[in-house]
Amino acid sequence: MRALLRRLLVAAATLALVSALVFVVVDALADRATLELGRGAAPEALAARRALLGLDRPYLIRLLEHVGSAMSFQLGESGHEPVTARLWRALAPTLAYALPGFALASVLALGGGFAAARRRGWLDRGLLGLATALMSTSSVILVVLGQHLLAHRLRLFPVLGWPLGGDPRGALVFVLLPALLWALIQLGPDLRHYRALFIRELAAPHVEGLRARGLSEARVARHLLRGALGPVLARVSARLPQLVLGSVVVEHLFNIPGVGALLLAALQRADLPLVQGVAIGLAAATIGGQALCDLLIWRLDPRSRAAREGR
Amino acid sequence: MTPRLGLAGRLALAGLLAFGALALGAALGLYAQDYAGAAGPELLSPGPGAWLGTDALGRDLLARAIQGARVSLAVGGGAALGIVALGGLLGALAGLRGGWTDRLLAGLTDAVAAVPPLVILLGAALLLAPGIDTAILAIALTQWSGVFRGVRAEALRLRASDYDRAALAMGAGIWHRLRWHLLPRLRPVLATALVLSFVHAVKVEALLAYFGASAQTLPSWGRLLAESGSELARGIWWPTAAASVPLALLVLCAQVLADRLGEGEPGG
Repeated sequence: MRALLRRLLVAAATLALVSALVFVVVDALADRATLELGRGAAPEALAARRALLGLDRPYLIRLLEHVGSAMSFQLGESGHEPVTARLWRALAPTLAYALPGFALASVLALGGGFAAARRRGWLDRGLLGLATALMSTSSVILVVLGQHLLAHRLRLFPVLGWPLGGDPRGALVFVLLPALLWALIQLGPDLRHYRALFIRELAAPHVEGLRARGLSEARVARHLLRGALGPVLARVSARLPQLVLGSVVVEHLFNIPGVGALLLAALQRADLPLVQGVAIGLAAATIGGQALCDLLIWRLDPRSRAAREGR
Repeated sequence: MTPRLGLAGRLALAGLLAFGALALGAALGLYAQDYAGAAGPELLSPGPGAWLGTDALGRDLLARAIQGARVSLAVGGGAALGIVALGGLLGALAGLRGGWTDRLLAGLTDAVAAVPPLVILLGAALLLAPGIDTAILAIALTQWSGVFRGVRAEALRLRASDYDRAALAMGAGIWHRLRWHLLPRLRPVLATALVLSFVHAVKVEALLAYFGASAQTLPSWGRLLAESGSELARGIWWPTAAASVPLALLVLCAQVLADRLGEGEPGG
């Protein structure tokens, strides 16, 4: 219970720090009044706009106000609509392709990493080579070429488009290729990570002990997977920021109205409240997810509890 | 203690040096200077005259690809140095000082790592004047948390060692411990981190350039990719190839080198 409270406290403190950071950075980089009125505006008009927006108040007060409103999830307004509402709306399309892609990549990487770590030999070399090749290919190249080959050339998928409430079969078709490309972007590093993890786990003494007692390889694998659950969850939690932002390139090329597209549009229109809102909202989702993963690890892995109490 | 690079590592190093020489020559003005003006008819396929063909405005793609190497190497190298310097110094400070310094810096790192990096990257690049220095600054200021964690862990391990305690007992200051105790220990880790940061920075630069947030006058590979998108759908492949093949090759070389350097480390 104390661990839970402490973890939540750390999460809240991190969120406060994030919102303060975002405020400081945005305030140092850009002046909202100048952005709204243009660089050539008269100084009097700029001062009036600053007073209207409340930008002429003391720095510290504005900072504290900003942190306070971020902590209560009031991220301001953009285009006569709360930023939170726009974020929620954009989240659904992003998760629609990012979540299946994430799951696909994780399953492939876990299976491939486990097989590579256990068999070694040519399978290991092949998968390692594949992972290195995927990692070396910038996500821009992967998405551009993937869309060209699979959609334009082979015509396996529709080129782009996003169903705005069409039939469910059609929606699925549009999600498939973005999800696949998303999985490919993520697969390279994950494959290598899980391979290294399973090589470490396989070298643990208890695996030797299980084998010496004559357990079948399948049973040994089950023990092994349970032991590796903590590090796997830690990896998933490290992946969370990418999951909620999605891939800006994928959303750009496939015309998906997700969080990445929202961010890009906000930046191009220099819509500061929306940019701040996206940054803080995504950070909040990440921090919350990471806290959840930590708690899950404590719950599932007695070793992590022991390590904590021993400290 | 030089790590054994092996054949693949040496080839990768040679490839990186070749890219460096190519970019240096272009920066000194020896070749590939006519990257901005039309060199021939539009969308000429690769052949003698224009070895990689020309793009939709008739510009020579070979010259543009070579100039792109300048951008990628400058941003990659500059940002990698910045990441390692910033992450390394803060990590060493946190690990060697311990206590509240450590807690505050670790908290700051968690906060920086929680903001999706692309928000800050694209934000800084598009709101400020986009350019090579902005890209270097934005990448270095947002991507240092990995190096910080590695160096901090190593510094914490050093704090538990007897020779560091002896140095402390003799009144050694933090700079002395950093210079004579931590740095020699960290050298292999930092070398790997430098190359890995380079890989990361080059990839991020390509992404930034794709959205027009990197170098403005020089062509960079990410921008070439963005420009070639519409032609690719019509079956004109050479602009895309001219941008993506060197980009993938450069990252592959650096990645293989980083793997070779990090061979001896646990988990590498």
